[in-house]
Amino acid sequence: MLLRIAISNAVRGIRSATATSALAVATIAVVLMLVGSASLLVSNMAGILDEVGSNLQVTAFLATSLSENDERALATRVAAAPGVERVIRVSKAEALERFEKLVGGAELLAGLDSNPLPASLEIHLLPEARTPESIAILNDALDGLPGIDELSHGQEWIEGYARAVGLIESVATGIGAVLGLAALLIIANTIRLAVYARQDELDILALVGASRTFIRVPFMLEGTIQGLLGGALALFLVFGAYELLLPQMSQGLELVTGRVELRFFTTYEALRLVASGGGLGLFGSLTALVGWRG
Amino acid sequence: MKRRAQLAAGEAPVRMYHVSKSYMAGQYALQDVSLEVGRGEFVFLTGSSGAGKTTLLELIFAAEQPSEGQILVLGRNVARLGAGAIPALRRRVGVVFQDFKLLDDRTVEENVRLALDVIGTPRREARSRVFAMLKSVGLQHRRFHRPQSLSGGEQQRVALARALVNEPEILLADEPTGNLDPVLTIEIMDLIASAAVRGTTVIVATHDHSLIERYGKRMVRLEGGRIAEDIPAAGATVSL
Repeated sequence: MLLRIAISNAVRGIRSATATSALAVATIAVVLMLVGSASLLVSNMAGILDEVGSNLQVTAFLATSLSENDERALATRVAAAPGVERVIRVSKAEALERFEKLVGGAELLAGLDSNPLPASLEIHLLPEARTPESIAILNDALDGLPGIDELSHGQEWIEGYARAVGLIESVATGIGAVLGLAALLIIANTIRLAVYARQDELDILALVGASRTFIRVPFMLEGTIQGLLGGALALFLVFGAYELLLPQMSQGLELVTGRVELRFFTTYEALRLVASGGGLGLFGSLTALVGWRG
Repeated sequence: MKRRAQLAAGEAPVRMYHVSKSYMAGQYALQDVSLEVGRGEFVFLTGSSGAGKTTLLELIFAAEQPSEGQILVLGRNVARLGAGAIPALRRRVGVVFQDFKLLDDRTVEENVRLALDVIGTPRREARSRVFAMLKSVGLQHRRFHRPQSLSGGEQQRVALARALVNEPEILLADEPTGNLDPVLTIEIMDLIASAAVRGTTVIVATHDHSLIERYGKRMVRLEGGRIAEDIPAAGATVSL
């Protein structure tokens, strides 16, 4: 009974103060649109970095004395080393084939009696092992293995990659914290204004003996509903902007990083954005009611 | 099901002992006021503006706390009421103001029903009680109208219906006829007086002396926050 009254009072509140409610919804939508866009941007950048990271590899050049079976056995041992995701064996013949493809002619090697290129192992790293420290550990583990002549791990690349990942993570945390706080303050103030605008109603309810819960719950519901509407609107706006800007962004990024696939929010992420609107609305209305003596 | 703390037989619903209220150090809105108002008694509270009439009423419905002294309302010590107990007390005290305090975005029926909604009265029962209450103030035909479309007298009758629909034990009215013409004033005062006849303790703050003379009820006059006069109802016996 009381819940039904609370819901009907919340809906009545939104309908009776359409302009204030619309302002609250619009504010929440704009703020969440900024948060959503930033988070989409960061997650796509992280995705691109991840893609780049998956191409990072350590190459172990093998001794020419190894038989094919020895190479296979060594590959299995290497695959068990710390931080290794998978190992691809490149035989001497495959290496030559790649060389010819890459350089564009077999005539360079025509004068040679035998294939001079060594067989190798391409060692791909687990995402968490793409750091200079993990590479050093892997290096130590592989260095003494018989049959490995030389290790090439592009240390500079790895360090650059680790720095980029660190930077993106710090920027994402920083932007998230600042925007989140701004969102909280703006939404709390907007709903606070809506509550002040209905001070008479609060006073009258208190006068007729309404409990604090009876008075507060409709405002909390109202804040939550406004937040959810704002979140849904923000999602719609971010999607619109994404669809509008996607072609240009993809082209620009392709020039820099090669082929990339940008993505929109997953269903879970989209629902989380809308729900965070509801949460902010609820929090806003709670803070607006703090200090109210009714 | 109403669960209300019962007053002991003969115990006055409103008892004030040496009550003072100060909003600023050294300045008293009420000073050393002692007063008892019995069950079903009708009291006019009078005095010039700033004499402390409104403050006294606010203390009774726990909108304010006394700075000094004790106030017992329906057996509860107002100074010691926690925030959670105040709503329970207010459900037993109806209040009417000069400016009606109605919600413009709700119909007459919804305004009156507020007092029943807050105690969780089922919708069907609430509607029938509201209808009966509106009928008793002659406004049943206006129940689906909004307050703005009503005259001042009608709005005050709605406010009175809201104050009385929950059958309060105390009815407080702060200048209830201050905005009304003489004919409507008598109409409203007759309704208030009839509540006292049914056993409700009534305290009406007014500076309209013609009303006090017309009804011949007990009159407490405040002056500078103190009780200057306490004249019993005409024909009442006074034991000293």
